[in-house]
Amino acid sequence: MLALQLLVDGVLLGGTYVLIAQSLNLIFGVMGVVNLAHGSFIVMAGLFTAWFTATTAASPLLVLPIVLLVGFGVGAVLQPLLLERLVRHGRRAELLSLMVTFGLDYVLVELALQIFGSNYVSVPYLQSTFTVGGVTVSKALLVAGLSGAALAALLHIGLNRTPLGKALLAASQSATGAVSCGIDVGRMRLVAFALGVGLASAAGVLLVLVIPMAAESADSLTILAFVIIALGGLGNYVGVAVAALLLGIAQSVVGFYFGGDAENVLPFVLLIGFMAARPQRFRRAA
Amino acid sequence: MNSPILRALALFAVVLAPVFASPAEGADAPIVIGATISETGPLTVDAGYQIKGMQLAIEAANKQGGWLGRKLELKLYDDKSDPGTAVRLYTRLITDDRVNLVVGPYSSGITQAVAPLINKYRFATIEPGASLPDIYVAGNKWNFQGTASSLQYLDELLPIAQQHGAKTVAVLGLKSAYSLACYKARLEQAQKLGMQVVYQTTYSLPQPDFGAIALAVKNAHPAVVIGCTYYPDAVGLTQALHDQGFAPQFLAETIGPVEAAFGKAVGKLGNGIVSNTSWWYNYKTPGNAEFIADYKAMFHEDPDYHAATGYSALTVLGAAVTATKSLDQEKLREWLLHNQVQTLIGVFKVNADGLSTGFTQHMVQIQNGTIRLITPPDLAEAKLLVPYPGS
Repeated sequence: MLALQLLVDGVLLGGTYVLIAQSLNLIFGVMGVVNLAHGSFIVMAGLFTAWFTATTAASPLLVLPIVLLVGFGVGAVLQPLLLERLVRHGRRAELLSLMVTFGLDYVLVELALQIFGSNYVSVPYLQSTFTVGGVTVSKALLVAGLSGAALAALLHIGLNRTPLGKALLAASQSATGAVSCGIDVGRMRLVAFALGVGLASAAGVLLVLVIPMAAESADSLTILAFVIIALGGLGNYVGVAVAALLLGIAQSVVGFYFGGDAENVLPFVLLIGFMAARPQRFRRAA
Repeated sequence: MNSPILRALALFAVVLAPVFASPAEGADAPIVIGATISETGPLTVDAGYQIKGMQLAIEAANKQGGWLGRKLELKLYDDKSDPGTAVRLYTRLITDDRVNLVVGPYSSGITQAVAPLINKYRFATIEPGASLPDIYVAGNKWNFQGTASSLQYLDELLPIAQQHGAKTVAVLGLKSAYSLACYKARLEQAQKLGMQVVYQTTYSLPQPDFGAIALAVKNAHPAVVIGCTYYPDAVGLTQALHDQGFAPQFLAETIGPVEAAFGKAVGKLGNGIVSNTSWWYNYKTPGNAEFIADYKAMFHEDPDYHAATGYSALTVLGAAVTATKSLDQEKLREWLLHNQVQTLIGVFKVNADGLSTGFTQHMVQIQNGTIRLITPPDLAEAKLLVPYPGS
């Protein structure tokens, strides 16, 4: 029974991780942009959700589609303003995007501090549990985990089954090849970034239901997303989903037997091991 | 002065002169009190109260004409809840800003980092946010404890729990200076009382998820769960224990539950949680009623014990300055070592190391959304509710 409880807890935790990672996977995969501001979009959405639900007593799930669309819009504005113009710098574009998003992260975190303050917040939503076959399930974690996994699944289906999605995948695999097929690669970069920010914002709405969040949480979320992508393989959406779930399970087991610090350090230990053994997992297609 | 070089040098001197000038001194110059506070970072909730208490104390003193006939001015910097930043900022306060006096920062961890600096520059410093006793016995002779010891946090709980039949304990500790001291103290106390420690662990912030720790606690079936926490992990642990469907007979967390934000974050899960305080609304200490009224008027919220310790730190410092009629650090230090001061949170008195021998901690419990003082018996507002309902 304990093993089953650890598995369920880990899978649900991993479900929240899937969306955090896939949204960055899309941006990194298609654009080659190392988006160091990824966590700050998550946190902005989470803090907004906490404020909105406290002020209006509305359900955070009602906020989810709104935040996703607003995030999409913000991404659609920021991409041409800050990132698209870097493309003409060729090989230096990746390094430049690193610097630009580093600065953007600082700006967004400071904005979050000014608007929402520096306190940790959480949303007391669905504060009940149910038991199935001796396994206790938190409703908040269940909703957050399943919703995150569902959105990530929709992303995967969209990428593989829709013309727009296939164009995004083509642009991520080979910009030159995509152009020769008549795909507007510039537009694909815009869509990828906007969609990535929208999904990151949705991840923030779900995450604040299960853990306390503050403006300063941004960096650790960005790092977590990069670790999961590294484990799952850049551009490999199935791989990243599996990695997120496995990481959630591994953290659940390690945290239970070895405590909080071991749980915290596990992603980085795995990252070092994988990068040493399979560094090609973190290369984009040329 | 026809030479352009001479003109440039003169202009340079005029522009830079204020940088090198000493702060204004004299009968009319304000007494500048320097401090850092954690305006950002994980300590911000509790630190915010401490600084408001200090600001209120400054306001109150200035209404009475200040100290030594001079108004008081507070010079504050944000240490971002980071010890390294606090050390740099206290250096700046003392060497660049040339403040007259300093008050310690919030938290034992940050104070522990700053204490050697205070020692080096020989500033008699009240430490309102540092409950860790180690700071004061480590040869830091210029630091004076302005709050109760962390060894006392929740020390009344285990004997009471034992009277209710509790035999098993789980202790969780955040890896910070005060909380580790509290964690070890509660483990030792449990063992001395003959209670079985069925689970113990430490953790660091940021902790992404407390689910695994909560499951391990549940698996151990303790009657008493004690968390030596700050605010964010108090929230996280409370939620995680509930998510695992576990409600011990007694759930206690040191720092976090007394903050108004805690109730908003955890909702009904907070009901029945035990915590500790070094000050309460009904303490019969001098000026307590006025402090509460003035705090509410100034900040439009209720004070907590961090605000009271911040206020009391300035009370003690003011008493020392007034008694010695001086801002001389040696005189202030000597006076603080050998005198007592009545404050909101009790009697300030210290031993030869500067460790408090006067302040104490008592128990509170959240009952139906309101925090009630449970001990001492002569001031208790309510009886302890047992068991912790969990929802």
